[in-house]
Order: sequence, then C-alpha cells, then structure tokens
Amino acid sequence: MISAQGITKRFGDFTAVDSVTFEVGRGEILGFIGPNGAGKTTTMRVLTGFLPATEGRAVVAGHDVFEENMQVRRKVGYLPERPPLYTELSIGAYLGFVAEVRGIARADRTRRIGEVMEQVGLTGWEHRILGSLSKGYRQRVGLAQAVIHDPEVLILDEPTSGLDPGQVAGIRQFVRGLAEDRTVILSTHILPEVERLCERVVVIAGGKVAADEKVEDLKNRVGKGVRFRVELRAGADDQPRVPQLVGALGVVDQVTPLDATDGFAVLDVRAPSDPRTDIARLATERSWTIRAMERHAPSLEEAFLAVVGQET
Amino acid sequence: MSVAWAVFKKEMRVYFVSPLAYVFLGVFLFLAGLFFYLGVVQTGEASLRVMLGNLSVTLLFLLPLLTMRHFAEEQRAGTFEFLMTAPVPLGSLLAGKWAASFALCLILLAGTGIFPLVLAYYGDPDWGVILTSYLGLALACSGFVAAGLFTSSLTDEPVAAGLGGVLVLLPFWISGTAADMVPVPAVQEVLRHLSFLTHVEPFSRGVVDSADVAWFVLFTFAFLFLTWRSIESRRWR
Repeated sequence: MISAQGITKRFGDFTAVDSVTFEVGRGEILGFIGPNGAGKTTTMRVLTGFLPATEGRAVVAGHDVFEENMQVRRKVGYLPERPPLYTELSIGAYLGFVAEVRGIARADRTRRIGEVMEQVGLTGWEHRILGSLSKGYRQRVGLAQAVIHDPEVLILDEPTSGLDPGQVAGIRQFVRGLAEDRTVILSTHILPEVERLCERVVVIAGGKVAADEKVEDLKNRVGKGVRFRVELRAGADDQPRVPQLVGALGVVDQVTPLDATDGFAVLDVRAPSDPRTDIARLATERSWTIRAMERHAPSLEEAFLAVVGQET
Repeated sequence: MSVAWAVFKKEMRVYFVSPLAYVFLGVFLFLAGLFFYLGVVQTGEASLRVMLGNLSVTLLFLLPLLTMRHFAEEQRAGTFEFLMTAPVPLGSLLAGKWAASFALCLILLAGTGIFPLVLAYYGDPDWGVILTSYLGLALACSGFVAAGLFTSSLTDEPVAAGLGGVLVLLPFWISGTAADMVPVPAVQEVLRHLSFLTHVEPFSRGVVDSADVAWFVLFTFAFLFLTWRSIESRRWR
C-alpha cells in the first residue's frame, strides 16, 4: 500500500532524508521511529505529497505521490505533527469543512461527523471553539479530521504527543481498530507505543533507514543473543572466581559482573541459548547458593539506542 | 467547484466569527460617512463623486489587511499542510479565497448604500452614475484583493503580508501623480495607464469603458497567477 523507493530530500546543502526505502502492506501498522530531527516528519511529508522528493519515488495506495498527487490525496488521511486546526472555528464547523472538502455527500456529512466524533471521544463538543481546546482535544480533532473520509492509508505524525496516559490508551485503541483493513504509518518517539501497536518498525537516524524489521527481531538482534541476570553466592575463597567459572561454561558467551549485594555476585550473562540449567549444575557441584536466574527481556529502547547509536 | 465553494464558506465563516469583519465594516463605514459629509459640504452637489474617489484610495490601504491572513495564517497554523494534502486543487483554493474577500468587499460597499439614499431624499442624484461608480469600486476591490492574496502567499507573517500588500499597490496609485512630473510624453502615458485612478475615474463620470474593465480584470488575474506561482514554488523549496 505504501512503497518508498530511495526517497531523498535535500534542503539546499542539507540532506534531511537520504535514500529511504521501505514498504508497508495492507492491514499493517508500521512504527516509524527515530530521534528528533532524524527525518521522520520530512519522510511523512514526502509520502503525503506535501513535499516533493529530490530523488526517488513514493507510491501510496497505488498512485505515485508526485505524478498522481490528487488521487493520493483522496485516499490518504494525514495527521501532521501539529493538528491543522482553524482556531476561530468550532469543532463542528471545522469537521464540516473537512468533510465537504473530502467530498463526503451532504446527506452523509452530519452522520459521518457524529461517528468520528464519537470514535475519538468528542461527542457533545461540536460547539467548542478549536482555539480554546487543550492539547489532547486538539489532537483528537486532528485524528477525526484524518479519518473522516475513511481513508485506505493513514499517516499519523506523533499522534499521541502531549497526551495524558488515559488519552494515549484511548488513541491506541482507536488506531488498532482502524488498522484492520487499512495501512497505518505511525511516527513517534514514544517507544512503548510502538511495542504495543506495531508489529514492524522502521528506525530512521540521520535521514537513513537504520533498521527495518519485526519489533521482536530487532530487540533480539540488538540484544546480541539472550541475556540473563544471575545472582550467586559461593564460599569465601570461591566467590571472586564466580564470574570466571560461569564464563567458562560452554553455553555462555559473555559474563559481566554488575554488582555484589549481601555476598551475592550479580552477573549479566549473555548466551545464544538458555544457559540456566548449566549454571545450576555448576552451582550444585560447587555448593553455591542461587538467589535468582531470570531472563532479561531486551527492551525496544535498548535496541533503539543501539541502532541509532551505530548510525550516528 | 464544490471545493471552491467549501473554501468560500469557510473563509466567510472565519471572517464573521472573528471580530475582523465587524471592525472592518465599522472603520470603512465611518470613513465613508466622513467622505460623504465632506464631499457634499464642499461641492454642494447631490453626488457621491468625492466620497467614491476617496474610498477607492482607502480600500487600497485597507484591503491588504483583510487579505493578509489568507495564506500567511494557514502557513502559521499548519492548516496549509492540510489543504495541500487534502484533495483541494490550487485553483479552487485561490478562487474560494478570492471570492470570500471580494464578497466581503461587496458587503462593505453595500453598507455605504445608505448615502445614495440620503442624497435621493434631499436631492436628485443621477442613479446611472452612482451605479457605474460602484461598479468601478467593485472592480478596484477585485484587483486589490488579488494583490493582497499574492503578498499573503509570500510570507507566514500576516502583518508583513498586509504591509507588503500596501507596498505592492502603492505604485499603482502614485504613478498617476508621478506621470505629471516626468517630462517625457511616452513615459507619462505609460505611468498614467499604470495608475488605477486613471481607470476608476471614468466610472465615477458614468462612463463604462471596456478598456477600463479589462484593465481591472487583467490586474486581478495577473496577481492571482502570481499567487499561484508563489504557492507552487513554496512547495519546491
């Protein structure tokens, strides 16, 4: 549904986006993450046709965004970084304008506006003036605007920025509901958001694609195998040798002593597969005490930092 | 077409939900009343000649303030990004915005309709001349609005757009006066034709010359075309 093929966008000498290539299929929610200034918003703007790419080509909903811009505009719903609101207008008047511009027939307009207002939790607010709304409510109106024409493709640029946790959960629910038969790109730097919503992420850093894979794969790859936290106590003479002995086990790649509490050595153990039974056997042989051995799930945050760090 | 209509309605709504339209109406009618009084007192004629002449210059200074928000504010508020990613053809956008400002001008002019009625009560004005005078003013409004749209498309600072509009229009007022100071007849002729006053004046005498009408139509389209180009080029930067 969305295909970015070597998109490059230069502003003068500055290359904001550098040959970015990725695809998003129908029914998929793609997380588009990267540090501030990495080129997320510029990429979104190229995909919506707001900015023409310097090089490369983007096809959205079956149309080239440059050659067949109007068709793309019709099929895409877009929430820019800043919700595009006319501050003087009421919510109802604003959505009425959007619906009319979006070509929704007069007879359906009132019903459709009511539907989207309910979906984003704005029922009963049609007379509120946009300029008087708080950030969270502006964001909701922005979302309502983006989905009013039931678009095939949704491009959301930081839809949850500035919202409180309750609102974030609501919007997450809403986006998940939308995604069933649509294509969604969700740009954000709130990583838990991505973990909950997206199966696949594209990490962009310094204008380049730094990673494009399943969230799980990214976490495991960057975690360099599986990590375990192991806490062991040995006798006085054995204690200093604990890391060394654990490291000597065949299944273990690397051992990093983290700290020592109450006489327990706390180790960060990396291994290609689960080494816990081997460690337990070693501990039994040497009469060590085991306090904990837990699998340490790699977080997306770690993976993100590692990927972004590599590229910059 | 329906998109242009949607834009038109949106712009009219924005004018009338904000104090802008009312302040404009107030200021404009106050000045019109002043010019009407002075004109009638000075000349003792049952005519609007003085008032309408002065109003055309007033409009030159006022209308850019009416149009300054059009694109500048859209840029600022981020709504420009909406318009450029929603199925809004640039032509419809321009048409809707121009028509909304022009319609507001017509409302302003209609507000001065009380003065001919006053004349009719006390004297015997020439209705034909009054009608053509209004036609001339409306044509001038059309051109000024287009020029204002153009400067609004150049910046995202509404005040700069407003003052820029006045600046762009000033030569078309001054050039008439400047013509008298240039000793070269050919240059004089050109300068005189550049001035909108040269083309408004016949209307206030009841003369509707197709050349004058064409001048204003051309003026309007020239600035709408420049606006078009300016917005297109904005996206390429």
